[in-house]
Amino acid sequence: MDEQLQKIKQDFLQDLKTVKDNLQLEELEQKFFSRRSGEMTEIMKKLKDLSVDARKKFGKLANEVKKELEDILIEKQIELNNQLVNKIADTEWIDITQPKLPVKDRGHLHPNTIIQNDLEDFFTSMGFLVLDGPELESDYYNFTAVNIPPTHPARDMQDTFYIKDHGPDSDSPWVMRTQTSPMQVRAMQKHGVPIRAIIPGRCFRNEATDVRHEHTFYQLEGIVIDKNINFSHMKGVLEAVAKHLYGNETVVRLRPKFYPFVEPGVNGEVTCFLCKGAGCRVCKNTGWLEIFGAGMVHPNVLREGGVDPEKYQGFAFGFGLTRLVMLKYGIDDIRNLQNGDIRFLKQF
Amino acid sequence: MKVSYQWLKDYVDLSDSVTPEELAFKLITSTVEVESIEKQGENLENIVIGEVRKIEKHPDADRLSVCQVFDGVENFTVVCGGSNVTEGMKVALGKIGAKVRWHGEGELVELTKVKIRGVESWGMICAASEIGLADIFPTKDEREILDLSHLSAKPGTTVAKALTNDDVIFDIDNKSLTHRPDLCGHYGLARELSALYNYKLKSYKTKKIKPGQDYKLKVKVENQELCPRYMAVMIENIKVEPSPVWLQKKLLSVGLRPINNIVDITNYLMMDLGQPMHAFDATKIKNEKAKADLIIRSAKEGEEFTTLDEKTYKLDKEMLLISTETEALALAGVIGGLNSGISNKTTTIVFESANFSSTNVRQTATKLGIRTDSSSRFEKSLDPHLAELALQRAVELTLELCPKAKVISNIVDEANFKLNQEPIELSYEFLTKKIGMEIDKKRVNNILTALGFELKDKKDGLLVSVPSWRATKDISIPEDLVEEVARIYGYDNIEAALPAFTIDPPEKNNLRILERKIKEILSLEAGYIEVYNYSFVSPQLLDKIGLNKKDFIELDNPIAKDRPYLRYNIWAGLLENVEENLHREEEVKFFEIGKVFDKNNPGQRVSENSGDLLPRQDIKLGLVFSGKGSKIPFYELSEVLNILFDRLGLDYKLRSSFDLNNKIVHPGRRAEIEVKEKIIGIIAELHPVIQDKLGIENRVALLEINLNELLLVYTEKNNYHPLSIYPEVERDIAFVVDKKIIHDEIINKLMTVDKLIKKVELFDVYQGEKLGADKKSLAYHIIYQATDQTLTAENVEKIHEKVIKVLEEDFKAEIRK
Repeated sequence: MDEQLQKIKQDFLQDLKTVKDNLQLEELEQKFFSRRSGEMTEIMKKLKDLSVDARKKFGKLANEVKKELEDILIEKQIELNNQLVNKIADTEWIDITQPKLPVKDRGHLHPNTIIQNDLEDFFTSMGFLVLDGPELESDYYNFTAVNIPPTHPARDMQDTFYIKDHGPDSDSPWVMRTQTSPMQVRAMQKHGVPIRAIIPGRCFRNEATDVRHEHTFYQLEGIVIDKNINFSHMKGVLEAVAKHLYGNETVVRLRPKFYPFVEPGVNGEVTCFLCKGAGCRVCKNTGWLEIFGAGMVHPNVLREGGVDPEKYQGFAFGFGLTRLVMLKYGIDDIRNLQNGDIRFLKQF
Repeated sequence: MKVSYQWLKDYVDLSDSVTPEELAFKLITSTVEVESIEKQGENLENIVIGEVRKIEKHPDADRLSVCQVFDGVENFTVVCGGSNVTEGMKVALGKIGAKVRWHGEGELVELTKVKIRGVESWGMICAASEIGLADIFPTKDEREILDLSHLSAKPGTTVAKALTNDDVIFDIDNKSLTHRPDLCGHYGLARELSALYNYKLKSYKTKKIKPGQDYKLKVKVENQELCPRYMAVMIENIKVEPSPVWLQKKLLSVGLRPINNIVDITNYLMMDLGQPMHAFDATKIKNEKAKADLIIRSAKEGEEFTTLDEKTYKLDKEMLLISTETEALALAGVIGGLNSGISNKTTTIVFESANFSSTNVRQTATKLGIRTDSSSRFEKSLDPHLAELALQRAVELTLELCPKAKVISNIVDEANFKLNQEPIELSYEFLTKKIGMEIDKKRVNNILTALGFELKDKKDGLLVSVPSWRATKDISIPEDLVEEVARIYGYDNIEAALPAFTIDPPEKNNLRILERKIKEILSLEAGYIEVYNYSFVSPQLLDKIGLNKKDFIELDNPIAKDRPYLRYNIWAGLLENVEENLHREEEVKFFEIGKVFDKNNPGQRVSENSGDLLPRQDIKLGLVFSGKGSKIPFYELSEVLNILFDRLGLDYKLRSSFDLNNKIVHPGRRAEIEVKEKIIGIIAELHPVIQDKLGIENRVALLEINLNELLLVYTEKNNYHPLSIYPEVERDIAFVVDKKIIHDEIINKLMTVDKLIKKVELFDVYQGEKLGADKKSLAYHIIYQATDQTLTAENVEKIHEKVIKVLEEDFKAEIRK
């Protein structure tokens, strides 16, 4: 019995040396431990034929040998598995730079949408309403309501698209809005005061297009009215916008500028985000970028909006959204924004 | 407008410590836009007066000559291409080392000794534009060199010195002066600077004109509204000759060319006070028999008028003329007529110093396309008082320059103006409330006084009288005074503060939220590219598509004749995008969201309580797909539609029943999109015939959804249902049916067969010759599941039998085994 066990052990160890992979290991396992015919199984079966003493003695020994061989088997298995896993670096190597095929194109938002969304979110976070209004607007809202009477030079300065049968001399003149400002009055009429609102939108001027001029462009108008909204607040809010756009070091400079719908009226410049005020190509060597117009809302405009200028006051501002887009991405030809060229649109 | 630093100093004692750069900065931040600062004489080193002693032809070049130029010490050989060079001429000699701008363009280049076609040249004879003097000496011919023979300076004198050219010139953007008629001349700007720097402004001194008795000058103003003031006076014994050097220099410094003493005086006053004037030859005017020597009248419709630059214009009856009984002499406030002005033979003149309606002058100038220094000033609403001041100064100067001259007429002053100079009440509290910080009362008073306002103390504030030069349109309400104080105080000195608000959340703009959601789904999830198209479409496009132009709103004055219509279908523009991009792309996937204009339905009011309504302007979403090799692009868009509505959490149906009653879309591939029994859009393929007309090679699918309509039915659906703990059983079934039996109907029917059917999924469609042309084979997964038990094979088998029976009976299906 003893000899038999020693023989099995020797055979096992001998066979183990030739095992190269899992398959051979399995064969080895079968040979010695198979329930039906494994050599080790067989010898264990024989135990029951022995005397009680002998069974005790050999039983213990047989179990020890069996346990020893099983441990060796498991060890070998782990060793083989490790060998295999170590090899997959080679066997399963891929070119990680190769794209998945066929290549799938992603979609793209228009750059104007990207900037507009960003500013809408920014103003919403400060509690502003986001409003929209008619692009085909009445002459009244576009001009008269914002303090631009019929003979005012501002009507010449903005070359206006009029609508057929609703020309400038008709009973009911209609225009393609030249600015988002008409929404100041519509907003006050609809929502009353106090109000904080922005109106991003499409505007039109009747001028020939070239690299820098477009008859269609986007503005972002804003209005803030309450009992004590003052010039200092206007400066504060516009500074906040500038810092949101171009970083905390950005400085805002206000300069007097005439707009009929505000008094005082200012034009706003910020330090150039590229050169930080030193002067470069983007800011035409001035160090400043002109990006908005603003002012304290003119009492006449408040009155048109149904608001008592004795009780309420506030400011309005307008950003050239199209200009912000061009500055942000360094777009040098404004016409790209509306010509539907896939090669342009795919860049955003 | 050009402004001379020296000239400003005539009126305000600017300290030397104020550099031109600082001054410009101050003006920019408080008053007007300064576009550039030009320092005269800068870059004029090594450029001296040279005298051309001898000219020989260049041996090798027809258009060049070889000149000997004397610089006061020696002769230099200089090759010159100037067309007007003559012996004895005084020229600007650029010596070696001088900096010039070739042909007036590009960067400055330093001159070196060069060989030109074999001849050595020791410098260059400069043209005005090459040394930055083109403004003072405009040239007619590109090859014309600068002739300085009129200068008394000796050869060798630097050109800068010879021209006493050491002024600093500011170029002020005219647009930034729109609302400041008082800044159209140096005196007004000096006043502004005196306020900005707190320096004393010198008063503008003139003497009253002593009227003459010899001639009764008669002026009739027919339209007083367009001519609120007309002043005139006649002076005889005039000797027309060049102006003295000081006057010429002044005019040259601000870019005006000296002409003769009388014209120069009028130009000088325009630049000095901002008041345009005109000088007529009196012989044209004087008519003792006439009721009026000068009539200020409206033009006759179609009346022709020839201006002093010999162009003839047709006038309309809105335009104002200065005329005699027989002849129109000047277009009021805009330009003089041919032969009405001063010539060298003139001995008696009439000065005009008037005020014209700003609107009328602007409209006339715009209609005729004539913009002059005069019209651009009158457009800004000049102070009528300036007319008097300017006339007094003009007469004074005339008598000074022509000592024998004599005023021989009465002084005409047809004045019919009234300025709104009612004092404005300005409380300090109001000022603080508007600005947001308190400015010292003394400072406020100083600022307003320096600007010419007269102040009276009032309880808690001031009573402010507006000076005439700010009363024409600029200042009339307290807010205007707030601006005056704030800007002179300096916007930079006003602290920024954020307003405090209650934390009311803003009302949601649901349409905008929906719009953004859709944009994100389409671009980020469906892989579509957002495009912006114009709101304007061309008649050619509408014709090609087969849309009726009558249904579109039209512009009255389109930019170019090519796009006069306002879009109503958002996909029309997208089709153009397809045509323009498909030739270089495998496929084109675009979407756009924008406003469209509905001619037939009303929208918002034209004013608050008006019954008059603007056209309806809904926001529409449009999508197009076209790809090489895509034979049924319809399914590309129906898939996008699925993704979109799934993500929006909204159920929709496609209805194939709609009839466009036209041939725009493919008759067999089109559907209306229905949500909660409301049609909100369409999905279709473009009709192949129209696709051809548009020059698109591949089939195109398009989709349009009205977002305003969609919003009305938009509520988010909750898609959650509890998970069953019992397993699903899946059975597949394939069958052949008539090809016009539609998937939707099959699914709807099968779902009603038994409640244990959880899902029916199409996984294969086949059409082929073997089946016959009007047949198709469909294959579905049918998923069975119960919520309370594990289904047995027998359970499923029973229901599956029913499914087969329904398919056979209701759809005449032939089940494939």
